[in-house]
Amino acid sequence: MSGTGQEQSVGIPPAEQASSARLTTLRILLSNEFGLLVLIVLFAIIFSTISPAFLSKFSLYALGRTSAVNIMIGFSMMVVIITGGLNLSVGSIGVCAAMFGGLLMQAFAMPWPLAVCGGLVMGAALGALNGFIIVRSGLHSFIITLATMSIFFGVMIFLTRAESYRDISPAFTSFGRMKLVGIISPLLLVSALAGVLLSVLFRYTALGREMLATGANERAAELSGIRVNRIITYCHLLSGVLAGVAGLMLVSRTGAAIPSMAGQLGQDWLLPAFLGPVLGGTLLTGGRVSVLGTFLGSFLVTMLTTGLLLMQVGAFWMQTYLGMLLLAAVLIDMVRRSYLTRRKLI
Amino acid sequence: MSRRFWETDWFGPLMVIVVAVAVVSALNPSFLSPFNIQVLLLAIAVNAMIAFSQMIIIAIGQMNLSVGAIGGLSAIAFAGMMEVWGIPWPIAAILALALGVLAGVANGVLVALTGISAFVITLASLSVYKGVNLGITEAQPFYKIPDVVKGLGNDTFFHPLPWLIIPCVLAALLLWYLLNRLPLGRSILAVGGNEHAAELSGISVRRVVIVAHAISGLLAASAGIMLVGRLQLGQPTIGDDWLILSFAAPVIGGAILSGGHVSVAGTLLGVAIVAIFTQVLVLFNIDPFLVQVVLGVLILWAVGVNRFREVRALKHSAQVAS
Repeated sequence: MSGTGQEQSVGIPPAEQASSARLTTLRILLSNEFGLLVLIVLFAIIFSTISPAFLSKFSLYALGRTSAVNIMIGFSMMVVIITGGLNLSVGSIGVCAAMFGGLLMQAFAMPWPLAVCGGLVMGAALGALNGFIIVRSGLHSFIITLATMSIFFGVMIFLTRAESYRDISPAFTSFGRMKLVGIISPLLLVSALAGVLLSVLFRYTALGREMLATGANERAAELSGIRVNRIITYCHLLSGVLAGVAGLMLVSRTGAAIPSMAGQLGQDWLLPAFLGPVLGGTLLTGGRVSVLGTFLGSFLVTMLTTGLLLMQVGAFWMQTYLGMLLLAAVLIDMVRRSYLTRRKLI
Repeated sequence: MSRRFWETDWFGPLMVIVVAVAVVSALNPSFLSPFNIQVLLLAIAVNAMIAFSQMIIIAIGQMNLSVGAIGGLSAIAFAGMMEVWGIPWPIAAILALALGVLAGVANGVLVALTGISAFVITLASLSVYKGVNLGITEAQPFYKIPDVVKGLGNDTFFHPLPWLIIPCVLAALLLWYLLNRLPLGRSILAVGGNEHAAELSGISVRRVVIVAHAISGLLAASAGIMLVGRLQLGQPTIGDDWLILSFAAPVIGGAILSGGHVSVAGTLLGVAIVAIFTQVLVLFNIDPFLVQVVLGVLILWAVGVNRFREVRALKHSAQVAS
């Protein structure tokens, strides 16, 4: 699926070659990323006309800070979706990593860079454990991560006695509350950096290409010499690290590591985790990824949430709107895909 | 297809229950007291409905993440209709069940007509239903529950059998009859076993998917209504913690997640195992937080055992063939 645009245009008869430039433009205009950009601009205009507070410095800053975490959660799910799997335990892992980081800072008085590394190692370990069990058992990642979501969260609650760590290093919290140029949160830069690194991984490195190949067709990948099991474990490990980053970002923002910050069993992260990649055009069956799409998708979701809250249309209904958004996104994507297939654009 | 009894789905879980009950009651005799049995049966009655609701979807090879959201929505609809509109409880219950069926049908229609994976559709509908629940209640419970409903939710009709066990037994019998004796049930299992083959043999896959989701919605709604009676209030949080349990019990009962193979008796025993283990944590003053860990480990253990049995069955049939 991925990167076959150029190769396929060779197969188009010469008569249609002339219009290929027009087709390329059309393809860009119909791409997910372009559609998301249009939506982001459109909703920004709508929200700012209805409520001028939307464009205030603080509102923009808060938007960037919140979306940074959501983007990270989206990335965390994305790197597993590309293998055709799922990771229901992103929220659980995120909270575990954050709590471990908090423990290192409070109980062991570690300097914050070390504690952050500790938290990320915890995320990586839990992710790798997921990958190991999935690969060894040969069972679908859905049921394994459903079980580990419950186990990770249960062990964490048991060990912490459901208490928060509030003794967070001030240097670390000030990072989450810092304002660059008045409106940009450094957290958003962290997400952007992660996005760039992930793009490089999937576009230019053998490992990234092998991940995509595994997702597109596991058997074919295996036959062409890719160690599929190892690749799947790496993807889950990466997912754990990214979930850990998201969890630690939340700690840095709120100034405390709280066991309930992702809801019961970390379930509250599930919807944002899927919304970003699905809106961004990452195929749920695996093999196709759009890092930029996930970035924009998660940003759009956060913007819609913030905007609707500002318009005071009822915070309690928010979940309904987000659910409908996911539904609309998959339906529109289906229509778009069938249109593109009919016009032979993909 | 005749199997020896120790190869059936329910034999393993039954042995676990027998051993667990023997060990626990030897260590702590109050485990078999009538009161404790009543508490156990109450938990089993509600949890079995939740598990059946997921089981019927596992049978067609899909999953339903919105089981808890449908249950919660029906529960607050039931309580809300009685408190706000003053509707008598039997009518409110029927309307709440209808709402559950409607929510299930909406899931089924979306999955069947679009062909998008049930995971994504039910993740979206989970948040739609939960959002409607929160939008209506604003996270505040309904408190005015008629005494009859409270009684039905907690009292026994024949010591120590609680009233709630009746709908549970009824649902188990009807589901067993449906899946083992009725053409519709066979169609459900056929679609789960091999959707393409089912379609080719003249089964309307779309209709079967929609019906299965409708049944799932109905069962989830009944679990929600039963919980209103048991908790004696219409909590908006009803259903929030059903997801793990709903998968654990059918899987312990030998259900294959790719579809086509579920066991009503096995699922019921799976629910009983979960209830006993949870009870043990309470009886021996072990941390209740560990319930989540136990549930997760039970799922892993059960899928491992199922996988082992599957592989062994394949080897066995290969030997027979050669």
